[in-house]
Amino acid sequence: MMPLAAVTKWLARTLAIVFLVLTGSTILVRCAPGYLSDAREMDSRYADRARVELSAEAARSGSLLQMLSSEVGGWARGDAGVSREYGVPVFELIRPRLSVTGSLLLRALGLAWALAIGAALLSSARRTPSLLWQSPATLLLAIPTAAMATLCLLSDHGGPILVMALLLAARDFKFLHGALRKAWLDPHLLQARAQGIGMQRLLLAHILPAAAPQLSALASLSIVTALSALVPVEVIFNVPGLGQLAWNAAMNRDLPVLLAVTMMMAMAVTLAGMASDRPAGWRSA
Amino acid sequence: MPGELAWTIGYDPKTFDPAKVDDQESELVRYLTGGVLLRFNRFTQKVEPELAASWSLSANAQTITFRLRSGLQFSDGSSLTAKDAAWSIRRVLSAATGAPVAEEFLSPAGVKVETPDEQTVVVHLPQRVVGIGKVFDEIVIEPADRPSEGRVTSGPFVVAEYRRSQYVRLRPNPHYAMRDTAGKALPYATGVRLDILENQEQEIRLFARGEYDLIDNLPPDYFELLKKKIPSSVRDLGPSLNTEQMWFNEAPQAPIAAWEKSWFQSRAFRLAVSQAIHRADLARLAYLGHATPAYSFISPANGAWYDGKIVAPHTDPTAALAELVRAGFQLKDGVLRDAAGHPVKFSILTNAGNAARLKMATLIQQDLAALGMQVMVVPLDFPALIERLMHTQDYEACLLGLENVDPDPNAMMNIWLSNSPNHQWNPSEKAPATSWEAEIDRAMNRQASSSNDAERKQAIDRVQQIVADEQPFIYLVYPNALVAISPRLQGVQPAVLEPELVWNIEGLRLQGAR
Amino acid sequence: MKVKLFAACALVALVVAAATIVAAPGASYANQDREAPLASASQHHPAGTDALGRDRLVRVAAALLLSLAGAVIASAAATAAAAGVGALAAFGPATVGWTAMLACDVFLALPWLFLLMMVRSAMPLTTSPARSAAITFLVLAALGWPACARAVYRGARSLRDAEWLLYARAGGLRGGQVLRTLVPNLIPLLLPQFLISIPAFVIAEANLGALGLGVGEPLPSWGGMLLELDNSAMLFDTRWVYFPVALLITVLLLLEAAAGEA
Repeated sequence: MMPLAAVTKWLARTLAIVFLVLTGSTILVRCAPGYLSDAREMDSRYADRARVELSAEAARSGSLLQMLSSEVGGWARGDAGVSREYGVPVFELIRPRLSVTGSLLLRALGLAWALAIGAALLSSARRTPSLLWQSPATLLLAIPTAAMATLCLLSDHGGPILVMALLLAARDFKFLHGALRKAWLDPHLLQARAQGIGMQRLLLAHILPAAAPQLSALASLSIVTALSALVPVEVIFNVPGLGQLAWNAAMNRDLPVLLAVTMMMAMAVTLAGMASDRPAGWRSA
Repeated sequence: MPGELAWTIGYDPKTFDPAKVDDQESELVRYLTGGVLLRFNRFTQKVEPELAASWSLSANAQTITFRLRSGLQFSDGSSLTAKDAAWSIRRVLSAATGAPVAEEFLSPAGVKVETPDEQTVVVHLPQRVVGIGKVFDEIVIEPADRPSEGRVTSGPFVVAEYRRSQYVRLRPNPHYAMRDTAGKALPYATGVRLDILENQEQEIRLFARGEYDLIDNLPPDYFELLKKKIPSSVRDLGPSLNTEQMWFNEAPQAPIAAWEKSWFQSRAFRLAVSQAIHRADLARLAYLGHATPAYSFISPANGAWYDGKIVAPHTDPTAALAELVRAGFQLKDGVLRDAAGHPVKFSILTNAGNAARLKMATLIQQDLAALGMQVMVVPLDFPALIERLMHTQDYEACLLGLENVDPDPNAMMNIWLSNSPNHQWNPSEKAPATSWEAEIDRAMNRQASSSNDAERKQAIDRVQQIVADEQPFIYLVYPNALVAISPRLQGVQPAVLEPELVWNIEGLRLQGAR
Repeated sequence: MKVKLFAACALVALVVAAATIVAAPGASYANQDREAPLASASQHHPAGTDALGRDRLVRVAAALLLSLAGAVIASAAATAAAAGVGALAAFGPATVGWTAMLACDVFLALPWLFLLMMVRSAMPLTTSPARSAAITFLVLAALGWPACARAVYRGARSLRDAEWLLYARAGGLRGGQVLRTLVPNLIPLLLPQFLISIPAFVIAEANLGALGLGVGEPLPSWGGMLLELDNSAMLFDTRWVYFPVALLITVLLLLEAAAGEA
């Protein structure tokens, strides 16, 4: 059971993050160059219309306080404001994309974990130089996501799920390998191995339980990695998900949409971070 | 779906309301779905009657009379009469609609629309409008009092389905009035799917797999790539109407150093820069040969307005240096300094993500280094670039392109008139800053008010010569129009005007299944 | 240990080779040989030329020096900042730790892309390419520390709770002495972070190029060269870019793995 104080602390922290991210993002987007400009201004056919829209936006976003209150008002109304680019409520844009991104993330995570856990079990149990296993993992991490996606497009093999899964698997593997390696080198395990206890029994009775607490940390790590890869992967593969929406919103300075997506990502990162901190907290309690 | 044509558009159309179109992709949807009284034929560049059986212009060019075809119907089967046409024209003219086309009537509030009978529409203009016939190409006839955002149309197609950020689907209009020469109903295609796709890589891959039927505006490197894969699909249509140019910021209010402004306002300086640039190298290296060196704003593709007799400064670095020395500049130890000793150093902005422009800027960087100028190349993302060009004017030089959608130079009024915000090198001048800008103003106004084609051509020729002499825009190249057309697509007649490949959409036909 | 030595030697050899190529008389990464764009290997251009006729070998070598130096400095700065924040959060009072980790979370969630755009617009347009490159890497360092700080915090906290430290403190070791014993224990935590950040910064610089920040023409950067791989039309002509990049990454990865083993 979680004590009341812990709940309060958690709530305070979440609220603080929401508020800071909201304010910070608004300031960043509003002050970024090009907030009050439109590519159509250069086209004499559309310039007048674009200027009318821009002066309306300028009036709306005169002061930071005004902008913040209109954003918060949008959230209070339950539609997260109206998109500057599309002129429809933000939630209407987000809703169909949520399931697309969700399913992409879930499948990629599943595949990545299967790959990472399998590889880590094999690599940590053997005495072969871990370099053999480490190298492909590091190499995967060192290729820009965008370049990897383009290679996939070119070779006509693999899609967004594969690229994302490989990326996640590489990072998860590095993490798991370290954790399992430590477990294998524990004195009691060395003893058990010396006594000739079977590999399978060792795995089931000792290694996996010892590594279990690390798995929650792994979850948080995976989610953070996946979210950061979401934008390039969705943009390159043209997946109609949240990452693509966020990128378009950034390019069009569409503040309400950007704020909504940022907030969702912030919540996901915070929740993931908490999941990984929890076991440590329990232990110390 | 068999027989459905498919290609991509770069972003979501902002509106399906034909009266409110104010972006390129919405305009395409309007073109494919909307029925108009007069169609500006993109291939012959002549105005042709479409829903109108005939039309006439009064002697003072202020009264237009349209005779509608008989038996016209909307896509829902209801009949289309003069009442609908008049309602649609009035809707566009009304200030409440906010239609961008309205301002082409110069004073839309004074326009009167009458319907003497079911088949006749008469429009009275308070003043003469150059090329009025073409304006009606943008006025879509909708059912009176029932605007439908493209769901009930009188054009070849009807908006059937729209999935935001994914696709727009059009289905054929079963009551479309036009027939082919054999009397067969048009359009041939069983539908059109416009996929919303920004990623060119993906587009080309899907085209190569046969998912898409055409690509317009291919970048030169992708053109070469496709040429290797499917040689029969790519076509270089020669120079387009578009230009690539660079210009210096001559605005007196610009927040840049005073001595820089005096360079940029000096004709000798601009002329020297223009003469130092090797345009043939730009075309050959930045466009892999798929571009033509440019010296003026009217491309050779624009047959009616092109003037081969313009005298423009050509590449001559020695003459460029001599010009600079005459103007008080000095080249010493590889550094060019002005009379006051300031080293000549400036930046060229361009938009990030356009490989050809970045390459041109880098080539120009080296060309100008030969004169002792130190040039920085700064690519910026589009909104940030526009902010500097249109709002803060905090830049020194800029390299961008201009897309011309209309061959008539009257469409460039906003660029050449000195009081216009789109008069890039010195926007919104209260009075023309120089005598040559005043002369351009006069010539542009002369061509806008004249009804004599020869006189208009003469005025535009004069503007071209002034621009060549003064170099406010330093024209670099006319990029060639590069397109890819699926070998299975029949009936394509590429035109230089938008929509280049699908202007005759009703006559396009797909052979075999996808 | 052998691996580590080998990797270190390879790194030094790579840098020396690159420096020799760049410093060779007549070598220029900016000079355009316009008569020979996209040329194949020749006596004059041992690795051919790029689309503007510039010598590829010199450009790759110069890019190696530039990107490596930039990424190493950025990585060092980010790791140092992360070490400071992480250690402070772990060993300081609970409120400090709480606030520091909150700041990290907020920082990770912010659309920092716009900060980069603001930096670009604040910089004078005539900033020289070299200075612009330096600013780019510094900004990257300023943005890169929070992710690293989280990892350090986690490691440092387990150190704080380690038994030997409890004994030491119970035995009367003062703060300064504790710190002196702590630092060597933090190093195995920081070194892999430092090494793994280097390729990350090289790639981050590449992504910035798309926004006009990053290393400007005519300076070559590996980031910019990698970016060309996004374009399949260019890919066939630029495969060679990956060879030295792969070499550097292999070396870094050997070092990192060796550090992890130690």
